[in-house]
Amino acid sequence: MQPYELSLTQAADAVRARQLSPVELADSVLERIEQVEPRLQAYVTVTAEQARRAAREAENDIAAGRYRGPLHGIPMGLKDLIDVAGAATSASSRVRADHRAQADSTVAARLAAAGAVLVGKTHTHEFAYGLTTPQTNNAWDRERVAGGSSGGSAVAVAAGTATFTLGTDTGGSIRVPAALNGVVGLKPTYGLVPRHGVTSLSWSLDHVGPITRTVEDAALVLTALAGHDPHDPASLTTPAIDYRPGTGMDLTGLRVGVPRNYYFDHVDPEVEAAVRRAIAQLESLGARLVDVEIPLTRYIQATQWGLMVPEATAYHERTLRAVPELYQADVRILLEAGELMPAGDYLRAQRSRTLMRQEWARMLQYVDVIAAPTVPATAVKAGQETITWPDGTAEGVSDAYVRLSSPANITGVPSLSVPVGHDTAGLPIGMQLLGRPLGESALLRIGHAYQQTQPAPTLAPAV
Amino acid sequence: MSVAELTPPEAARWAARAGLPLPADRHAAVAAVANHIHSVVAVLRELDFGDTPPAPAYHAGEEKHDAAV
Repeated sequence: MQPYELSLTQAADAVRARQLSPVELADSVLERIEQVEPRLQAYVTVTAEQARRAAREAENDIAAGRYRGPLHGIPMGLKDLIDVAGAATSASSRVRADHRAQADSTVAARLAAAGAVLVGKTHTHEFAYGLTTPQTNNAWDRERVAGGSSGGSAVAVAAGTATFTLGTDTGGSIRVPAALNGVVGLKPTYGLVPRHGVTSLSWSLDHVGPITRTVEDAALVLTALAGHDPHDPASLTTPAIDYRPGTGMDLTGLRVGVPRNYYFDHVDPEVEAAVRRAIAQLESLGARLVDVEIPLTRYIQATQWGLMVPEATAYHERTLRAVPELYQADVRILLEAGELMPAGDYLRAQRSRTLMRQEWARMLQYVDVIAAPTVPATAVKAGQETITWPDGTAEGVSDAYVRLSSPANITGVPSLSVPVGHDTAGLPIGMQLLGRPLGESALLRIGHAYQQTQPAPTLAPAV
Repeated sequence: MSVAELTPPEAARWAARAGLPLPADRHAAVAAVANHIHSVVAVLRELDFGDTPPAPAYHAGEEKHDAAV
């Protein structure tokens, strides 16, 4: 096994035991980037020299007894919406051609303090406003979409060109590409991970979180990221905790909600079968399955759009007027059309969100988590615009990919996407576990227990 | 086209009112996308919100910009 193939947990164990040096690990990941990045295009920039320098510092610190913890010396990538002092935050957009971040974002600063080694900035759908990330190719089939908007981050983890990455998630942008590339993605509770220094798509829906190979890895990263930041007005004042799940696989006493509406409607049969098999696996570990009715489903898309569209347009107000021609066509037209939404529509969406949050809280009194597909279909061919369901209904690809993930953005509940197999074309399938606000530990415990029943995750072929 | 839908000239006028002058070649496309967005969000008008407040809550006095990160 090459160092780039190690999960974060495995790499951290090897580094701590001094069986693997951070320099060897960084070199291995950088060589892997040289091999496969031309086919994947996951990165906007690769900072190889800085990474090697940081890895040498980590090696020296660890040798001198200054071990900082499990992220020390671990190569990682940041979605290029996340500020790193002195580097461009391109947002994968020509609008940001001359950008230079003045300071680290809070999450970049926390990862640096934990000793993680930045290898590069990963591609996003332009300004995170889309679900495909067209610059980047799927790690399992380069003819197919990476998913988005954190497509580069998910592809890098899937292909072994980063040991972990960070993404952002406004409607599903961590979990969708995680599911489509067969890796783990965690959208934490709204306000748990600070967003200061992270380019916004929609303030009231934006989240930052980890993309990793295993659930245990996601727990390690979350532990380093979570905690109050006075610079983010939505930041929660929750005490710092260690999210690492225990080794126990017994889920006796846990109630897993299985939706009887919405989450299995217009879902590819192979995706549904894989998710139901995974749910049955949770039952075999002792969990009790409970039917749940998802509330207010008719209003999910309207609420998501009513919040996101005007907030995104507001964020881009100046540049849309100054340099509209620098935006990609799909993003520009959404920003322009957002100017035409009346305030009444936005307020209705905010009031609908209040109702939805109340109803979800009521539902989550009766179950510990809800298990459902992350996305209703696996990765489509690049350029495909619609998915046609067996009843003849056609749905836009982006609408389909965001449909099952956006409720967690509206309600702010945490959601963890876990790989649960592949379809007959060999494309990954994801299951999401949704929990109560600040219920990350339950999601991680259940996700980790499930993963222990499965063969160890393998890297995507990246061919 | 329903009466609620914006024509391209109306979309251009609304955009101009919002401070975004649109080139003529964009009026039709922006009107079409704005009408689609409207058709999605208009469903929220079915809800009887009663006294339900909007979701954002303001916590007076909780911001501490001088606190340690």
